[in-house]
Amino acid sequence: MENTIAGYFLKFEPLKYLVTNSSAWLGFDTTVLIGFIIFLTFGIVFLGFLATVGGFGTIAERKISADLQARIGPNRVGPYGAFQLIADGIKMLSKEDIMPRDADKFLYYLAPFLSLFGVVCTIAVVPFSENFIMADLNVGVFYALAISSLVGVGIFLGGYASNSKWSLLGGMRGASQIISYEIPVTLCIMMIVLLAGGLSFGAIIDEQAGMPWNWYIFHNPFTFIGFFIFFVSALAETNRAPFDLPEAESELVSGYHTEYTGIRFGLFALAEYIEIFVVNGVAVSLFLGGYHLPFSFLEGTIPGNLLQFGTFFIKTCVLYYVVIWIRWTFPRLRVDQLMSICWKYLTPIAIFNLVGVAIWIVCFDGQSMFNLLFTGASHSGGGH
Amino acid sequence: MFSDILFLSSSSLIIASCVLMMWTKNLMHSCVYLLGVLIGIAGLYLTLGADFVAATQVMVYVGGVVILMLFAVMLTGGKDFQSRSQKILGLLPLMGSKYTFMWGSATAMVFGFCQIYFFRHLFFELKVQETTSNQYAPTIEKIGELLITDHVVAFEISSVLLLGALVGAAIIARPRKERPAFLEPDHHDDHGEDHH
Repeated sequence: MENTIAGYFLKFEPLKYLVTNSSAWLGFDTTVLIGFIIFLTFGIVFLGFLATVGGFGTIAERKISADLQARIGPNRVGPYGAFQLIADGIKMLSKEDIMPRDADKFLYYLAPFLSLFGVVCTIAVVPFSENFIMADLNVGVFYALAISSLVGVGIFLGGYASNSKWSLLGGMRGASQIISYEIPVTLCIMMIVLLAGGLSFGAIIDEQAGMPWNWYIFHNPFTFIGFFIFFVSALAETNRAPFDLPEAESELVSGYHTEYTGIRFGLFALAEYIEIFVVNGVAVSLFLGGYHLPFSFLEGTIPGNLLQFGTFFIKTCVLYYVVIWIRWTFPRLRVDQLMSICWKYLTPIAIFNLVGVAIWIVCFDGQSMFNLLFTGASHSGGGH
Repeated sequence: MFSDILFLSSSSLIIASCVLMMWTKNLMHSCVYLLGVLIGIAGLYLTLGADFVAATQVMVYVGGVVILMLFAVMLTGGKDFQSRSQKILGLLPLMGSKYTFMWGSATAMVFGFCQIYFFRHLFFELKVQETTSNQYAPTIEKIGELLITDHVVAFEISSVLLLGALVGAAIIARPRKERPAFLEPDHHDDHGEDHH
């Protein structure tokens, strides 16, 4: 509660004044009530922010793909086509909502919401800055892993409920892919949890404060490999190319959302683009130092928080660019290649990394590579 | 107040999903309602302050078990399942004939009486515990310590069990390496049989 957004804003004078006054007026302690109202307000703000990020994700994809293919891309709506997302949104909202006659109505309506729900719930524990975090859970990382599995259910149900062969194949591929790639992702996260000694995002990020060589990606060789395994597996979990088999347009038309039109398709697309942002945010928090600046500047104030938020956002956007870059560079994998990469390469390497990190912690007392090479020489003299 | 709201919403979600789960004739829908029940149970764990157990509940059941059930139901074509009895019993929330209903209710009654008999002391001595500020303290450290100290045998046995299940699943799912008969030379037939 202390570090979360509600607790942070309750410390300010006007809100303290409001709490004391309303407590006297209503006759009970309104701290929880006001905190909940702040929480709700910022929940809506975060949702709006995420939807905007998802919308700009679509336009970023189109512009970057155009750039990589030496085209111009959308450039009619607004400066450099920046308002294309508004046009897209209006188009999707005003399109006819078609449902196949033999579709399973209940599941057909439910599936896009489940997908979006799973993605949006994950962001609750990802810290945007020191105080801009919805809920600093003690089991934050674990919660993020758990709730994001709802996306797989949504994709599978969407594929099943459409009652079409392409959708069904896409949905089955999506579900099996997400279940399989959860294993390397979880193993890579466990590595970081071992190093940080906690499952809370706040604790993990605080361990990486300061200069870039304090980041967990540079902590030791195993985490360096681990980051790339995490990133590749995260690409597969978000169904991005080269792992976009669930929506392989050359074989399955459009995969699990073939039959969806209008805003229901829009929800699936939005879920996908938000999920990339969320997964990259998790990668930044776990491996790339999160929101921390190399120096402490205005910490605890709102401008300082915004600065930290900017740091986080820029790091995440760089990874977002890489994700789009990869999509327009690599060809798609076959199903058997997908499974063999997961089970024969990524999972064993991730297990090896996990054991390696555990051994590193025992051997070098949890010190990072940089510490051992430069500053740790004088310290470790006494130990040996 | 907050935990009361959480408890009420979780339990109403559980009850509503349970009733719908038993009522619907479509197995796929039943599975999806089961999802609601399991998420509601995670909410109940949260009201008890067991954050790790709640996250595990979502992780294991929503991420694994429900998806597997959906796969199984879909692959066995369960969506066309219709209740056999179309008369009065057809309106009841059951999946089966009147015999299953009779046996089921008789068993439930016997089990219910046994439970009430065995736990009768609890009912009379039940006290509502005072909620303390320590209610939402992190549980994961305690769980981790207990798992590798007091309950290490149970922990290891269950991990061996899970490993066994994993190996068994891999063996069952392994593709058979049978080559077509015309590819096998005649004099190697017996040798090939031994391998399987």
